[in-house]
This record gives sequence, C-alpha cells and structure tokens, in this order.
Amino acid sequence: MENFLEQMKEILEVDNINGTDVLIEFEAWDSLTQLSIIALADEYYNKTINAEQIKKASTVQGLYDLIK
Amino acid sequence: MGLDFQFRNKRIAGLLTVLPSRELLFEEEMDNYNFSAAKSMKLKMAMGYNKHRIVDEDTNVSDLCVYGINHLLKEGLLETDEISALILVTQSPEHFMPPTSNIIHGKLGLGHNVLCMDINQGCAGFILGLVQAYMLLEQKSIKKVLLLNADVLSKKVSKRDRNSNPLIGDAACITVVERTSDDCEINAVINMDGAGAHVLQIPAGGFKYPSNGQTSQMREDDNGNFRSLENLVMKGDEVFNFVQKEVPPMISDLLAKSGRTVNDIDWYLFHQPNKFMLNKLADKLGVSRDKMPANIVENFGNASGATIPTNICFNLGESLLKQSYQVCFSGFGVGLTWAAIEQNLGNVKFNDIIYF
Repeated sequence: MENFLEQMKEILEVDNINGTDVLIEFEAWDSLTQLSIIALADEYYNKTINAEQIKKASTVQGLYDLIK
Repeated sequence: MGLDFQFRNKRIAGLLTVLPSRELLFEEEMDNYNFSAAKSMKLKMAMGYNKHRIVDEDTNVSDLCVYGINHLLKEGLLETDEISALILVTQSPEHFMPPTSNIIHGKLGLGHNVLCMDINQGCAGFILGLVQAYMLLEQKSIKKVLLLNADVLSKKVSKRDRNSNPLIGDAACITVVERTSDDCEINAVINMDGAGAHVLQIPAGGFKYPSNGQTSQMREDDNGNFRSLENLVMKGDEVFNFVQKEVPPMISDLLAKSGRTVNDIDWYLFHQPNKFMLNKLADKLGVSRDKMPANIVENFGNASGATIPTNICFNLGESLLKQSYQVCFSGFGVGLTWAAIEQNLGNVKFNDIIYF
C-alpha cells in the first residue's frame, strides 16, 4: 500500500494522499490520469483494469483493492 | 492464435505518402476542449501530440490517391499498363456505392482489366491490404498491385473531443507490390475479435442508424468531451488494454514461426496510435525504442491504415532505395483486428512524401 500511495501521489500530482480520498475530486483527474493508472496496473501489478472499474472503485483505497 | 499466412517471391517495390498541406498545431485547437490549458499540455507531453495534417472540406480519398498515382506516372516511377489492381483500404469511402476504388479507376482512365476492391479496415489496414496484394500476386494475370491506404477521418471527429481530435490525421499512401525472383519468405498473421467491435466506431450515419436531427446533436460524455453519434468514438482504455495484451504475444509467435529472434528485426514499423502506447509496447517486447519509431502522430497525426507506410516513408526515407532491412509491420485497432507481417523491405524504387 505504501508504494502504491507513492505512485498515486505522482500520478495525481499531490503531496498528501489518503485511502478515503475520492478519485474524481482530485484536481488532476482526467482521462490521462485514468490511462496512467491503467498502465500502472498493467506494468507494476500485472492487472488489467478499465475506466468503468476505476469509476466504481471510487476512492484511493478502492483502487488499491482493485489492483493489488 | 490467429490465422497464419506465408508468401514467397513477392516484394514491396515502392512507397509514396500523400499528405494534406494543411497543418494544425495542438495549441491552436486547445480552446475547443473542455479542459484547462495546463491539463491539455500535460496530455500533449504524455501522448506525444504536436501537429497534425487535416484535409480541407472538399478533399476526399480519391483526390489524394489520384494525385499520388499521377505523380508516380509522371515521374516515370510507374507505368499505367503495369497496374493490375487497385486495393483501397479505407473507412472514409466517398459513397456507400460505388466503391471508391472504382472512382479512382475512372479518374485515372484505367483499362477494363484492372481489378478494383475496397476493403473496410482501419488501423490494421496496411497488413490486411498487403496480405490481399500478396494473394492476388499468386495469379499470373496480375502484374503489379497498387495498395492504397487512405483516410480522411478528421471529418468524422468532433473538434471538441480531446480523446480523438488531437491525434487524428488524414493521409493516403500508395504501396506498389510486385513479384520478385528473390526467394524471400514473408510471414503474416491476422487476428479478429468482433466482440470488441464497439470499442472504436462511428455509431450513426450508416444503414442501421441513418443520420437525422438526433444523431447530429452534440452531447458531453463522462470525461467532458463533446461529440455526436455521427462522430468517431473510441474507448481509449479498452484499446490500450487490448493492444498491451494481444500484440506482444502475437509478435513473439510470428517471430518464432519465422525462425527469428527479437534482435534479428532491424525495424518494428507499427501502427501509430500515440507515443505512450508504442513506447509501452516496445518495452513489453524487449525492443529498443529506437527500433520502433513513434513519431508519426506528433508530426502528422494518426491516419488509420496509412500510418505504417507513412512511418516507412518518413523514418526510412531514401535509405530504403539502396538498403534493405528485415522488418516487422503490425497494425491493431478497429474491428477489433490485430495483425502483423515479418518480411524483407528495401531496394525500393521510391520512398517519398508529397503534399496535396
């Protein structure tokens, strides 16, 4: 989780992040952020996820549960 | 595992790319999008967007193709009586009927013994077209095949769709395909998955959903892009996942069947969706990024089936007149279709870009 949070901080361009943070509320949230997460899941977690699943995951913790 | 093809004694004799003179910069169109400039600039950097070439309203596929073929005839790079077939791969036909290849045939005043064939294919259109050309050349009556990969899909892309507009380009490429006495082997593979047909589409305007007042209404999607049902729509996430999943094993299998390793290939000349996706593909395949050019979208835009021959003309240029390389072509996208060819490419008569 620690490593994942670091990766998310970079993608979402923030200094602090919490599991309860809602994904679509991040200032940097857009289709590119979503693609970066899809690529991260594929590259580092060997997991294929799509935009619909990310939407359903809703929070940072939800996303972690999806790809871990 | 795909459908395998093998050919011998065929070659690419020359390539010509015809690009529109009109060039648009990413920044010029940024205000059309529903995103801050900072966000759009971030997208530009990540995807490798910069400029793209777009036809004007009056220019269509046959105009670009006829201009290019006439150039070859005028320069003495092609003789009219050598042409036995026009295979046009396009998703922007001028009419539902007749085939656009027949229109090109008519404009050129070609003989009754020239076959015209339109193929409705997109991103893998160069591979599908080449396989068709190689199959035709098995017939003694066929002298040379002109493979025409041409699209003006910018006309179907919403200017307010940041998902597709920055990357779309228009182009026509003419590839002359012929027989050769060199006993060189060509290996190809084609895969289809119609279950993913909705991933890349223009929903309305065909026979099923004809254009009407409703289909042309602009609507905003979840991501803040505006488009109508008559516009091209792409599920970027699905395309990315499908390409990363299917293309690397296809290439590995093709190379294994050809008895070659990743390093035996001099150039990986792939379809050009965007730099991001191509760099990831190169990394996955264990191919150095220098061997897989990814600069077509930033310079000209993605013109569907025309991107591979444009890639050849732009990146290999005149070197191809005197040298030859072992190459791997691969196209992937609409259909879904993913396909690849491993072959020799070189000592061509021409490999050039001209502007319409």
